[in-house]
Amino acid sequence: MDILVVDDSKTMRVILQRSIRQAGYRALTVAEAENGQDALEKLRGQSPKLVLSDWNMPQMSGIDFLRQLRADANHVPFGFVTSEASADMKKLALSTGATFLLTKPFTPDDVQEALAPILGQG
Amino acid sequence: MTAEIEIADVASIVQDIFSTMMDLSVCKVEGPITPPGDRLTSSVYLEGSWKGAVSVECSRQQACDFAGRFLASDPPPAVDDDVRDVMGEIVNMIGGNFKASLGSDVRLSVPSVIDGSDYEIRICGSATCNKVAFRYEGGDFLVTVLTNHGVRPARSGAASRCDTN
Repeated sequence: MDILVVDDSKTMRVILQRSIRQAGYRALTVAEAENGQDALEKLRGQSPKLVLSDWNMPQMSGIDFLRQLRADANHVPFGFVTSEASADMKKLALSTGATFLLTKPFTPDDVQEALAPILGQG
Repeated sequence: MTAEIEIADVASIVQDIFSTMMDLSVCKVEGPITPPGDRLTSSVYLEGSWKGAVSVECSRQQACDFAGRFLASDPPPAVDDDVRDVMGEIVNMIGGNFKASLGSDVRLSVPSVIDGSDYEIRICGSATCNKVAFRYEGGDFLVTVLTNHGVRPARSGAASRCDTN
Protein backbone atom coordinates (compact mmCIF):
# COMPACT_ATOMS: atom_id res chain seq x y z
CA MET A 1 0.00 0.00 0.00
CA ASP A 2 1.44 3.36 -1.06
CA ILE A 3 -1.51 5.62 -0.24
CA LEU A 4 -4.43 5.06 2.13
CA VAL A 5 -7.58 7.02 1.26
CA VAL A 6 -9.95 7.43 4.23
CA ASP A 7 -13.47 8.71 3.60
CA ASP A 8 -16.93 7.50 4.62
CA SER A 9 -18.19 8.43 1.16
CA LYS A 10 -17.52 5.78 -1.48
CA THR A 11 -17.97 8.52 -4.06
CA MET A 12 -15.12 10.55 -2.64
CA ARG A 13 -12.87 7.50 -2.39
CA VAL A 14 -13.51 6.78 -6.07
CA ILE A 15 -12.92 10.41 -7.05
CA LEU A 16 -9.74 10.66 -4.98
CA GLN A 17 -8.38 7.47 -6.53
CA ARG A 18 -9.15 8.85 -9.99
CA SER A 19 -7.61 12.22 -9.15
CA ILE A 20 -4.43 10.53 -7.85
CA ARG A 21 -4.11 8.66 -11.16
CA GLN A 22 -4.85 11.84 -13.14
CA ALA A 23 -2.19 13.63 -11.11
CA GLY A 24 0.30 11.16 -12.56
CA TYR A 25 0.70 8.66 -9.71
CA ARG A 26 -0.57 5.66 -11.67
CA ALA A 27 2.12 3.30 -10.40
CA LEU A 28 1.19 3.77 -6.75
CA THR A 29 -1.13 1.33 -5.01
CA VAL A 30 -4.06 2.92 -3.22
CA ALA A 31 -6.07 1.29 -0.43
CA GLU A 32 -9.31 2.55 1.11
CA ALA A 33 -10.84 2.86 4.57
CA GLU A 34 -14.27 4.12 5.58
CA ASN A 35 -13.37 5.97 8.79
CA GLY A 36 -10.54 6.53 11.24
CA GLN A 37 -11.08 3.29 13.11
CA ASP A 38 -11.12 1.26 9.91
CA ALA A 39 -7.98 3.10 8.77
CA LEU A 40 -6.08 2.33 11.98
CA GLU A 41 -6.80 -1.35 11.46
CA LYS A 42 -5.72 -1.24 7.80
CA LEU A 43 -2.49 0.53 8.71
CA ARG A 44 -1.34 -2.26 11.03
CA GLY A 45 1.92 -3.62 9.65
CA GLN A 46 1.79 -1.16 6.74
CA SER A 47 4.03 1.81 5.97
CA PRO A 48 2.32 3.84 3.26
CA LYS A 49 3.90 6.91 1.74
CA LEU A 50 0.82 9.01 2.50
CA VAL A 51 -2.58 8.97 4.21
CA LEU A 52 -5.34 11.12 2.70
CA SER A 53 -8.28 11.52 5.06
CA ASP A 54 -11.64 13.22 5.23
CA TRP A 55 -12.29 15.22 8.41
CA ASN A 56 -15.99 14.74 9.08
CA MET A 57 -16.61 10.99 9.41
CA PRO A 58 -18.76 8.82 11.68
CA GLN A 59 -17.21 6.56 14.33
CA MET A 60 -13.81 8.27 14.29
CA SER A 61 -13.24 11.70 12.77
CA GLY A 62 -10.19 12.55 10.72
CA ILE A 63 -8.62 14.69 13.44
CA ASP A 64 -9.11 11.97 16.07
CA PHE A 65 -7.61 9.48 13.62
CA LEU A 66 -4.57 11.71 13.17
CA ARG A 67 -4.23 12.22 16.94
CA GLN A 68 -4.30 8.46 17.46
CA LEU A 69 -1.67 7.91 14.77
CA ARG A 70 0.68 10.41 16.35
CA ALA A 71 -0.01 9.03 19.84
CA ASP A 72 1.09 5.65 18.46
CA ALA A 73 4.30 7.30 17.20
CA ASN A 74 3.21 6.74 13.61
CA HIS A 75 4.60 9.66 11.62
CA VAL A 76 3.22 8.77 8.19
CA PRO A 77 2.71 11.88 6.06
CA PHE A 78 -0.93 12.90 6.45
CA GLY A 79 -3.16 15.17 4.40
CA PHE A 80 -6.77 16.16 4.96
CA VAL A 81 -9.26 16.30 2.10
CA THR A 82 -12.22 18.23 3.42
CA SER A 83 -14.92 20.69 2.51
CA GLU A 84 -14.49 22.47 5.86
CA ALA A 85 -11.09 24.12 5.60
CA SER A 86 -11.54 27.13 7.86
CA ALA A 87 -8.45 28.89 9.19
CA ASP A 88 -9.02 27.39 12.64
CA MET A 89 -9.29 23.87 11.24
CA LYS A 90 -6.16 24.32 9.18
CA LYS A 91 -4.29 25.54 12.26
CA LEU A 92 -5.52 22.56 14.30
CA ALA A 93 -4.67 20.10 11.53
CA LEU A 94 -1.14 21.39 11.07
CA SER A 95 -0.46 21.60 14.81
CA THR A 96 -1.65 17.99 15.17
CA GLY A 97 0.75 16.79 12.51
CA ALA A 98 -0.98 17.04 9.14
CA THR A 99 1.11 18.20 6.20
CA PHE A 100 -1.68 19.84 4.20
CA LEU A 101 -5.40 20.43 3.80
CA LEU A 102 -6.92 19.94 0.36
CA THR A 103 -10.27 21.67 0.09
CA LYS A 104 -13.25 20.17 -1.71
CA PRO A 105 -14.05 20.85 -4.49
CA PHE A 106 -10.67 20.14 -6.01
CA THR A 107 -9.18 19.50 -9.42
CA PRO A 108 -6.52 16.92 -10.35
CA ASP A 109 -4.07 19.86 -10.50
CA ASP A 110 -4.90 20.70 -6.88
CA VAL A 111 -4.22 17.07 -5.94
CA GLN A 112 -0.92 17.10 -7.81
CA GLU A 113 0.14 20.31 -6.10
CA ALA A 114 -0.64 18.86 -2.66
CA LEU A 115 0.98 15.47 -3.24
CA ALA A 116 4.12 16.49 -5.12
CA PRO A 117 6.07 17.73 -2.07
CA ILE A 118 5.58 14.32 -0.46
CA LEU A 119 5.54 11.90 -3.41
CA GLY A 120 7.58 13.82 -5.94
CA GLN A 121 6.31 14.68 -9.39
CA GLY A 122 3.81 12.15 -10.77
CA MET B 1 -23.28 35.36 17.34
CA THR B 2 -25.40 36.91 14.62
CA ALA B 3 -23.48 35.97 11.51
CA GLU B 4 -25.49 36.58 8.41
CA ILE B 5 -25.01 34.80 5.16
CA GLU B 6 -25.70 36.13 1.75
CA ILE B 7 -27.58 34.20 -0.88
CA ALA B 8 -24.93 35.22 -3.40
CA ASP B 9 -22.34 33.36 -1.32
CA VAL B 10 -24.44 30.21 -1.42
CA ALA B 11 -24.90 30.59 -5.18
CA SER B 12 -21.19 31.07 -5.73
CA ILE B 13 -20.35 27.97 -3.67
CA VAL B 14 -22.87 25.84 -5.57
CA GLN B 15 -21.65 27.05 -8.95
CA ASP B 16 -18.02 26.36 -8.02
CA ILE B 17 -18.77 22.83 -6.81
CA PHE B 18 -20.81 21.88 -9.87
CA SER B 19 -18.24 23.36 -12.21
CA THR B 20 -15.19 21.80 -10.54
CA MET B 21 -16.52 18.36 -9.68
CA MET B 22 -18.97 17.81 -12.56
CA ASP B 23 -17.79 20.20 -15.26
CA LEU B 24 -21.34 21.50 -15.19
CA SER B 25 -22.41 25.09 -15.53
CA VAL B 26 -25.37 25.98 -13.32
CA CYS B 27 -26.89 29.39 -12.89
CA LYS B 28 -29.14 30.97 -10.34
CA VAL B 29 -32.78 31.36 -11.37
CA GLU B 30 -34.95 34.20 -10.17
CA GLY B 31 -38.43 33.43 -8.94
CA PRO B 32 -39.91 30.42 -7.21
CA ILE B 33 -39.74 26.93 -8.64
CA THR B 34 -41.71 23.97 -7.43
CA PRO B 35 -39.71 20.87 -6.59
CA PRO B 36 -40.88 17.69 -8.31
CA GLY B 37 -43.15 15.36 -6.34
CA ASP B 38 -40.76 12.40 -6.54
CA ARG B 39 -37.39 13.69 -5.52
CA LEU B 40 -34.20 13.30 -3.52
CA THR B 41 -33.21 15.70 -0.79
CA SER B 42 -29.75 15.60 0.76
CA SER B 43 -29.10 17.66 3.88
CA VAL B 44 -26.41 18.61 6.33
CA TYR B 45 -27.05 20.26 9.68
CA LEU B 46 -24.98 22.94 11.37
CA GLU B 47 -24.79 23.21 15.16
CA GLY B 48 -23.07 25.72 17.42
CA SER B 49 -23.34 29.49 17.55
CA TRP B 50 -24.93 29.26 14.10
CA LYS B 51 -27.72 26.70 13.79
CA GLY B 52 -29.37 25.64 10.60
CA ALA B 53 -29.40 23.23 7.71
CA VAL B 54 -28.51 23.20 4.05
CA SER B 55 -30.27 20.91 1.61
CA VAL B 56 -30.25 20.09 -2.09
CA GLU B 57 -33.51 18.98 -3.72
CA CYS B 58 -33.74 17.56 -7.22
CA SER B 59 -35.65 15.02 -9.24
CA ARG B 60 -34.54 11.39 -9.24
CA GLN B 61 -33.45 11.73 -12.86
CA GLN B 62 -31.32 14.77 -12.05
CA ALA B 63 -29.77 12.94 -9.10
CA CYS B 64 -28.80 10.07 -11.43
CA ASP B 65 -27.42 12.60 -13.89
CA PHE B 66 -25.34 14.28 -11.17
CA ALA B 67 -24.01 10.88 -10.05
CA GLY B 68 -22.93 10.00 -13.59
CA ARG B 69 -21.16 13.33 -14.00
CA PHE B 70 -19.57 13.19 -10.55
CA LEU B 71 -18.25 9.67 -11.09
CA ALA B 72 -17.39 10.26 -14.78
CA SER B 73 -19.54 7.30 -15.82
CA ASP B 74 -22.90 6.63 -17.43
CA PRO B 75 -25.77 7.85 -15.24
CA PRO B 76 -27.26 5.01 -13.19
CA PRO B 77 -30.69 4.01 -14.58
CA ALA B 78 -32.31 4.41 -11.17
CA VAL B 79 -31.49 5.82 -7.76
CA ASP B 80 -29.08 3.52 -5.96
CA ASP B 81 -26.49 3.78 -3.19
CA ASP B 82 -24.01 5.55 -5.50
CA VAL B 83 -26.60 8.21 -6.37
CA ARG B 84 -27.46 8.77 -2.70
CA ASP B 85 -23.76 8.92 -1.86
CA VAL B 86 -23.12 11.56 -4.54
CA MET B 87 -26.08 13.64 -3.36
CA GLY B 88 -24.70 13.43 0.16
CA GLU B 89 -21.27 14.50 -0.98
CA ILE B 90 -22.65 17.45 -2.95
CA VAL B 91 -24.49 18.86 0.06
CA ASN B 92 -21.51 18.05 2.30
CA MET B 93 -19.31 20.22 0.07
CA ILE B 94 -21.87 23.02 0.00
CA GLY B 95 -22.34 22.90 3.78
CA GLY B 96 -18.61 22.65 4.45
CA ASN B 97 -17.73 25.62 2.29
CA PHE B 98 -20.67 27.54 3.72
CA LYS B 99 -19.47 26.74 7.26
CA ALA B 100 -16.12 28.38 6.55
CA SER B 101 -17.85 31.77 6.71
CA LEU B 102 -19.45 31.01 10.10
CA GLY B 103 -18.03 30.76 13.61
CA SER B 104 -15.20 28.38 14.41
CA ASP B 105 -17.39 26.54 16.91
CA VAL B 106 -19.96 25.56 14.27
CA ARG B 107 -20.06 21.82 13.61
CA LEU B 108 -21.24 20.10 10.46
CA SER B 109 -23.19 16.84 10.58
CA VAL B 110 -22.62 13.94 8.24
CA PRO B 111 -25.09 14.18 5.34
CA SER B 112 -28.48 12.48 5.21
CA VAL B 113 -30.49 11.72 2.08
CA ILE B 114 -34.27 11.42 1.77
CA ASP B 115 -35.75 9.65 -1.26
CA GLY B 116 -39.51 9.96 -1.53
CA SER B 117 -42.46 12.02 -2.66
CA ASP B 118 -44.65 14.79 -1.31
CA TYR B 119 -42.62 15.49 1.81
CA GLU B 120 -41.41 18.65 3.46
CA ILE B 121 -38.33 19.19 5.63
CA ARG B 122 -38.68 21.27 8.77
CA ILE B 123 -35.97 22.07 11.32
CA CYS B 124 -37.25 22.84 14.81
CA GLY B 125 -36.60 26.47 15.68
CA SER B 126 -35.75 27.53 12.13
CA ALA B 127 -37.54 30.75 11.32
CA THR B 128 -36.21 31.41 7.86
CA CYS B 129 -36.39 29.22 4.79
CA ASN B 130 -34.29 30.52 1.90
CA LYS B 131 -34.66 28.64 -1.35
CA VAL B 132 -32.20 29.31 -4.14
CA ALA B 133 -33.09 27.82 -7.51
CA PHE B 134 -30.49 26.76 -10.05
CA ARG B 135 -30.84 25.79 -13.68
CA TYR B 136 -28.76 23.59 -15.93
CA GLU B 137 -29.41 21.69 -19.13
CA GLY B 138 -31.19 18.95 -17.16
CA GLY B 139 -33.68 21.30 -15.53
CA ASP B 140 -34.01 23.19 -12.26
CA PHE B 141 -33.04 22.15 -8.74
CA LEU B 142 -33.16 23.80 -5.34
CA VAL B 143 -30.67 24.59 -2.62
CA THR B 144 -32.31 25.56 0.67
CA VAL B 145 -30.83 27.23 3.75
CA LEU B 146 -32.92 26.82 6.88
CA THR B 147 -31.88 28.95 9.85
CA ASN B 148 -33.02 31.37 12.51
CA HIS B 149 -30.14 33.70 11.70
CA GLY B 150 -30.08 36.41 9.09
CA VAL B 151 -29.88 35.70 5.40
CA ARG B 152 -29.37 38.64 3.09
CA PRO B 153 -30.73 38.56 -0.43
CA ALA B 154 -28.20 38.67 -3.23
CA ARG B 155 -27.03 42.07 -4.31
CA SER B 156 -27.75 42.90 -7.90
CA GLY B 157 -25.19 41.21 -10.11
CA ALA B 158 -23.58 39.41 -7.18
CA ALA B 159 -23.98 35.96 -8.75
CA SER B 160 -24.38 34.74 -12.29
CA ARG B 161 -27.99 34.31 -13.26
CA CYS B 162 -29.91 32.62 -16.02
CA ASP B 163 -31.86 34.48 -18.62
CA THR B 164 -35.26 33.06 -17.79
CA ASN B 165 -37.15 34.86 -20.51
